[in-house]
Amino acid sequence: MADATLPIVEFLKGFCSALGLKATVDVENSPDGPRLNIGGEEAELLVRHRGEPLKALQHVVDMSFGRHGADDKRVFVDALFYRRGKDLELRHMARLLAEKVKSTRLDQQLGPLNPYERRLVHMAVAEVPGVATESIGDAFSKTVHISLRK
Amino acid sequence: MADSVVKQVVTVLAKALTDHPDQVHVNESQHRGTTLVELYVAPGELGRIIGKQGRTAAALRTLAVTAGEKEGKNVTLEIRDGRP
Repeated sequence: MADATLPIVEFLKGFCSALGLKATVDVENSPDGPRLNIGGEEAELLVRHRGEPLKALQHVVDMSFGRHGADDKRVFVDALFYRRGKDLELRHMARLLAEKVKSTRLDQQLGPLNPYERRLVHMAVAEVPGVATESIGDAFSKTVHISLRK
Repeated sequence: MADSVVKQVVTVLAKALTDHPDQVHVNESQHRGTTLVELYVAPGELGRIIGKQGRTAAALRTLAVTAGEKEGKNVTLEIRDGRP
């Protein structure tokens, strides 16, 4: 385990015990950086309300530990693999819409999405030749527009 | 009495966010069915706790509400600087 993730694992364990959860924290190294998964039945509390608490926890981790990180890789906080499933679903959806743009020649939109989700969509659609993506809007969450490449 | 779940959670999160964890104080009081949680941080640290566009404050409120759910409490979080 990389030394940089150790304090974050400790923080998450402290957070879970403060919440009174019987939970475990597992580390998995992925190409995008370490993924920390909170496990245990009671972790369900964190994925309620469409995973809002989990998003909030990710933000607190980014703010607390982000500035100490030597490498630019971001630590990914998950519970019961909820976000991993969500991300897979989003990538599928993006690819599906990209194919639809090609077959119907009509533009498609996805969103509003937060910056992390938009990045996933841009990258997934980039694997489909002949289509282009663009983020539209000026708020924190923007809509991703998928169209035929001109 | 041992600290409530809400109080413990807010304390853990605030201490991680600030550079002065020793100056984090959390008060909890009941007002007509809602639980008021007051978080006090070092005066210069308020900006960090609130975050850009209040995003960190919103995250803290979300997690305080989650902790409240565990205890069946209706939580309101106030963030203040200085001491109680």
